[in-house]
Amino acid sequence: MSQPSEKTATTRIWDIFVRMFHWSLVAGIGVAAWTGFIIGPRALDIHVWIGSLAGALVFLRLIWGFTGGTFARFSSFLTGPRQTIHHLRELADKTAPRHLGHNPLGGWMVLALLGVIAGLAATGAYVLGGTFHAGPLAGWVSTSSGMGLRELHEVLAILLLVFIAFHLAGVIFESYRTRENLARAMVTGSKEMRSGDEPQTRLAARPLAFVLTGVFGLGLAVFSGLSMSHRTPPNAPVSVVGTTYEANCTDCHMAYHPSLLPASSWVQIMATLDDHFGEDAWLPPDTVTEISAWLGAHSGEATDSKPALVFSQLNSARPMEITETPFWKRTHAHLPEDMFTTPPVYARGNCAACHEDTKTGWFYPPNIHLPE
Amino acid sequence: MKKGMNGRAAVFLGAMTLAIAGPLFANPARDAIIAKYASEAGVSTFSAKRGKALFMANHTGGKPTTPSCITCHTSNLRGPGSTRVGKPIDAMAVSVTPSRFTDIAKVEKWFGRNCNSVLGRLCTATEKGDVLTYLSSL
Repeated sequence: MSQPSEKTATTRIWDIFVRMFHWSLVAGIGVAAWTGFIIGPRALDIHVWIGSLAGALVFLRLIWGFTGGTFARFSSFLTGPRQTIHHLRELADKTAPRHLGHNPLGGWMVLALLGVIAGLAATGAYVLGGTFHAGPLAGWVSTSSGMGLRELHEVLAILLLVFIAFHLAGVIFESYRTRENLARAMVTGSKEMRSGDEPQTRLAARPLAFVLTGVFGLGLAVFSGLSMSHRTPPNAPVSVVGTTYEANCTDCHMAYHPSLLPASSWVQIMATLDDHFGEDAWLPPDTVTEISAWLGAHSGEATDSKPALVFSQLNSARPMEITETPFWKRTHAHLPEDMFTTPPVYARGNCAACHEDTKTGWFYPPNIHLPE
Repeated sequence: MKKGMNGRAAVFLGAMTLAIAGPLFANPARDAIIAKYASEAGVSTFSAKRGKALFMANHTGGKPTTPSCITCHTSNLRGPGSTRVGKPIDAMAVSVTPSRFTDIAKVEKWFGRNCNSVLGRLCTATEKGDVLTYLSSL
């Protein structure tokens, strides 16, 4: 039995940029999904960086869509509804031809994937800016509106997974239908030449235009992002360092940031210092007056931050205890009980044992380091 | 010749160190605080032994979470203590923390708070003097 050793003629379809873009995006979306869906807030920094890179990749792909060669160009694969319906009819009749580049459905898939990823990058920057007051929009978005857009970011993330599933299904279907391994073509860049291939007048890529536009566009994005990120968020948490509050209250415990409780809770705490969570924490009256005024001026109501917002919802039976709030309980429920009763944490109220930035009032998730 | 000079210098330095370290235990500010308690109590000396007994004992009149001084300060007073939320407290022994009991406002604040937490009442001048005398002797 002999194998035909005739070498099939191939033709280059996917250029090196399209292939690098595709597989980098696969890796990037993989890491973003893993950090976003599975690891959670602790991996926020990685998630943000990989999301920014994905956004940059999509941006470059958009430019390549106008400056790349034939098969990379949107004009070669984005078709109107009439041609798309025609393609669907052909598929139903089993008369659809093989397409060297994207078929009409594949073209729409590309646009949908690029659009959703761009939307994820944009909503991600918005959520990051508002929720954690980090990134380019740190000083431009309020906490509540940033947190409000988180759901949309999540919906887009799920939509992306659905689109990826469609994309894979389409690739598998088309590979079987046309007896051609499309995934391998995205690796090698080449497809087999066949009789009946559509005649092509191939457009040449314009790499110089691509590089110039890409460098200029990304440079502008990075520059404006960095410039924008310098804006101080309005009503940011006050600094605790050097205050009378810090000097007196940190003798026994960490400095609970004034924004972690509403003013009414601080009033109650300062009025009951003789029985302060089971101890006498007496202070001279003038010190009490000074600290009370400072706490009132920088309480949760006066601060725009995620901790201030989430801890404003108190446990009405125990309004002086941050660790009794629904948010605290929900976000700490996964931690083992004995972690809070043994060194080096000792107590639920010792936030600083794990949160490195308690004094700033931000409580940024990547600054959490659980004890060994 | 040079060696001899160094030897004498070492003796001189040693003597100086003793001269400084000696009064360290008898800081004038701390002496004044103890003298104030002595005049309030109408006594001339305090008892380190009584101070130790008060400091180490378990009491019942105060808040249930703090039955004794050593609940937080621990029985090793040359080592650090720990507040109920894990914040370290400098050693109480004056030999380890020389700045202890040199600020009357601070001493009064903590006697006020802690006597109430542990005993459920204010401490007498005699008790304060005894405890300070005990901790200064460590």
